[in-house]
Amino acid sequence: MSATTIEYKGSGDHRVNMRWLQQALEQDLSPKEISKSTLNLGSEQTLLGDIFSITGKLSASEITLKNSTPSLDYVGIGLPSGRTLSVEGDCGHYLGQQLAGGRLICTGSALHYAGCNMQAGSIEIMSNAGDYVGGSIAGNRRGMAGGRLLIHGDSGDFTGDLMRRGLLMVAGNIGDHCGNRMIAGTITSMGSVGENAGNSMRRGTLLFPSKPASIATGFSDCGRHSLGFLPLLMRDIRAPESAFQTLHPMRRRVQRYLGDASVDGQGELLIWIG
Amino acid sequence: MMKWKNASVVGWSNIHVKKHKLMNINGVFIEDTFAEAFPMRATRIIITGINYKWARHAAETMTGFATSVIGCKVEAGIERELGNHETPDGRPGIAVLLFATDRKTLEAQLQARIGQCVLTCPTTAVFAGLEGEGQIALGKNLRYFGDGYQTSKQVDNHRYWRIPVMDGEFLCEETTGYQTAIGGGNLLVFARSLSQVLLACEAAIDAMSMLPNIILPFPGGGVRSGSKVGSKYKTLSASTNHPYCPTLKGLPDNVLDKNVEAVMEIVIDGLSIEDLNLAMRRGIEAICDLGKAQGIEKITGGNYGGKLGPHHFHLREIMGGDQT
Repeated sequence: MSATTIEYKGSGDHRVNMRWLQQALEQDLSPKEISKSTLNLGSEQTLLGDIFSITGKLSASEITLKNSTPSLDYVGIGLPSGRTLSVEGDCGHYLGQQLAGGRLICTGSALHYAGCNMQAGSIEIMSNAGDYVGGSIAGNRRGMAGGRLLIHGDSGDFTGDLMRRGLLMVAGNIGDHCGNRMIAGTITSMGSVGENAGNSMRRGTLLFPSKPASIATGFSDCGRHSLGFLPLLMRDIRAPESAFQTLHPMRRRVQRYLGDASVDGQGELLIWIG
Repeated sequence: MMKWKNASVVGWSNIHVKKHKLMNINGVFIEDTFAEAFPMRATRIIITGINYKWARHAAETMTGFATSVIGCKVEAGIERELGNHETPDGRPGIAVLLFATDRKTLEAQLQARIGQCVLTCPTTAVFAGLEGEGQIALGKNLRYFGDGYQTSKQVDNHRYWRIPVMDGEFLCEETTGYQTAIGGGNLLVFARSLSQVLLACEAAIDAMSMLPNIILPFPGGGVRSGSKVGSKYKTLSASTNHPYCPTLKGLPDNVLDKNVEAVMEIVIDGLSIEDLNLAMRRGIEAICDLGKAQGIEKITGGNYGGKLGPHHFHLREIMGGDQT
């Protein structure tokens, strides 16, 4: 089946809610039907056909979104398995929210809440991401619950907030409060990590090349260890093409911190050594 | 006499078949019978360690007292050594196969043996070695040994448990697969002396041990106390195979020729009929390589008249000869 292209023609002055794409995919709407649909743009309504041009059928497994700008929110929300959405350009908030097994690639950067509440599948952001990556929207009790989220650049504060499962990889630096209220899963980075890492962390693994600027006060230093599960984890970490492939696949020596005791947590912060 | 049609493939020069009557390979008579085997449930696990020494300690311990389901509930053995590149955690490993009569027993025995023999063994970790038809617990219940300090990690759709122990962490996969399999495939070797039958069996065992998907669960792979179904004592379901006991030669039920002084059995458990066929063939080939000149008189199979199980491995069919 041939690839389908959606081109954004708008000015980027107003925020655009991309949930229409999820609905169109579910209902298998034709480009003609979509073009006639209306969309709220600021305080006004507009036809989707006026700001997007669609070529090909949405039933295609691969869809490309061209000319994307930071004004496009909810790009790839709920993308199901078997679908690939390639985004050319930057994205707004909530990129890949509740991703349901699909594959989402963004060639630029994403604003806040990228991959929040994602369930399965993979998101790859070629540049940077904002705050609450892999986190949870306000009111939800669990953040990212599965899949892989790879950021080739930096991520902001509260990365992995309330994360429940899955693998969150940041090739660059991570901001403050990484792993805040984390329930389980793995967050790893190749760069530096900011203040208050692991705050209120219950379970899960933070795996970094160097000690964060500060660690939540409820962590205990457990000493240096060779952990047998790390080579298994390394296979997952090294699978996609990224800076993580420079890590040795059999690396297993780490400094281990356990916490956060303030919430009776047994999360671990591991720092590569040796 | 006619030449056996597959002689050139095997490479023996002294193979003769008298249709429906005789199959001699290198002077060794292959009896026209079948070895009887029965269905089982099997699993494979992979034990790794800091080196082969410790991985093998765990594997040998957990496969101890696992010769026969009659008395041990499970039949288990080491399948083969695994290189670093073949194990999930990149360390030296040992593949172990376990066979039991049903899934529940297999699971119970597996957990008991992992808990007592692998968890306790320094530096080891244990992983699933079979996809199988279904899943049975491996570390799923063992994790409670961690007393709340255990943590799990899901990698590539496999869940692993990390249990804190005094040498660091015991890593074990949550479940392993199981599948239907076959137990009790066998060969009976007749020779003119004990030393000769041992030599022949050792050769067969060495040849069969090279194969994947099978184990020889008895000590060293050989069995000297072959059994028949039933006994004169009502409480016993099996008893000594007195027709094959050389010290009872001459008695009415005994079938041994006067020149046979020792009989040995090799029992084989395998994951499939094909695996057992190949193993028995390799075993027979190795024994017949020694031939009658080395005192080997006959090879037969444990045939219990269909009382033992539905799988019948016809020796002559396995060797590609004619069936009667």
